[in-house]
Amino acid sequence: MTASSRLATAIVTGFLVSGSAGAQGVPSQARPVPDITGSWQRLGATVGVRPTAKPDPKLLPPPAAQPVLKPQYQQERQQRLQAIREADAKGQPLANHNVYCIPDGMPAMMNAVFPMEILQSRGQVTIIAEAYNQVRRILMDRPQKTLDEVELTFYGHAVGRWEADTLVVDTIGIKENVRFQNTPHSAQMRIRERMRLVAPDILWNEITIEDPVTLEQPWTFTYAYQRMPDYTLLEYICEDNREYSDEKGLQQIRIAK
Amino acid sequence: MKLRSVGAWLGLFTLFLALPVYAHHSFAVYDHTRTLTLRGTVTKFQWTNPHGFIELDVAQPDGTTKHWSIETTSINMMQRLGWRSNMIKAGDKLKVVAAPLLNGDPAALLLEVTFPDGKKMEPGVPGANSFIRTPDPVEYK
Repeated sequence: MTASSRLATAIVTGFLVSGSAGAQGVPSQARPVPDITGSWQRLGATVGVRPTAKPDPKLLPPPAAQPVLKPQYQQERQQRLQAIREADAKGQPLANHNVYCIPDGMPAMMNAVFPMEILQSRGQVTIIAEAYNQVRRILMDRPQKTLDEVELTFYGHAVGRWEADTLVVDTIGIKENVRFQNTPHSAQMRIRERMRLVAPDILWNEITIEDPVTLEQPWTFTYAYQRMPDYTLLEYICEDNREYSDEKGLQQIRIAK
Repeated sequence: MKLRSVGAWLGLFTLFLALPVYAHHSFAVYDHTRTLTLRGTVTKFQWTNPHGFIELDVAQPDGTTKHWSIETTSINMMQRLGWRSNMIKAGDKLKVVAAPLLNGDPAALLLEVTFPDGKKMEPGVPGANSFIRTPDPVEYK
């Protein structure tokens, strides 16, 4: 079976109903959509994932670009990255959000340091990241709210729709202290995603971040994920974190006596 | 793709160096230039996230006991590498190779454990090869 016919099979056998019930519960015409349900791990991830066979280089996305920020935010980011490097070199790392058991939020969770799971159900696509048990709900086939209508959160307000074979997602309303790669952003940040199967078990997510306050231009990069049919996500509770932040904001460790 | 100039190769290499290792927690508090080989008795195996710990009593030459907290990675990572919570229990005698804290406190990052039956396991520390190993003085004699 060729890759393209397997892909077609994956789309057809994954006969899921897209937009079968709108916000008012009115069924719309059922149509098949690609089956992206399952466990995934990011291709190219070297930490926290299971080793996999080397993927076809053609299935790897282009290298991720760095953000082009407005000068003052670029300076803020560079200073933060420099401070992290210097602190690490001194063996006194700066305490980050994980030291407080705080999860990554969006869009960092899509980096999938640990595996993630995608579930397709009526009117919703749900993405669960194993690390920190993070959950994103993408509400299907409904209009996006305005920023005034949503509270700022870690995962924001996400709406999605299928455009042919591509799941198109729009996310707004991310808290300003939820940082991705130490990049400053405003409450006006918008995350656009385009997810599609480029092979039966390889999913690409092209992510474009827009922010009229901090970014000079949209920031686009692509993550690729490999499906793991035999993997079930493990529980993750930040139960007893023996790292803590001292009064200087440096990461320390609690030693048992 | 052909890279004809040294500069192009250097650029690629720099790009590689610049790629961040995505991990949740920094291990920079640990000494990357030496390791300790500790033989001791387990007092507790803490099987938790974000990281686990092996608590180890190590007999000293003067007859006293020194307690060490040996940090592991996430138990999720460990499970994907074949670890289970019942592999270590209080009273077990283990040999661990671990990178000590830079500040001298008695904690260290686990790089390799040897079980009583001789089986060795690693917890999957990101960039584990960047830790320079010190030969085990006992086996080195």
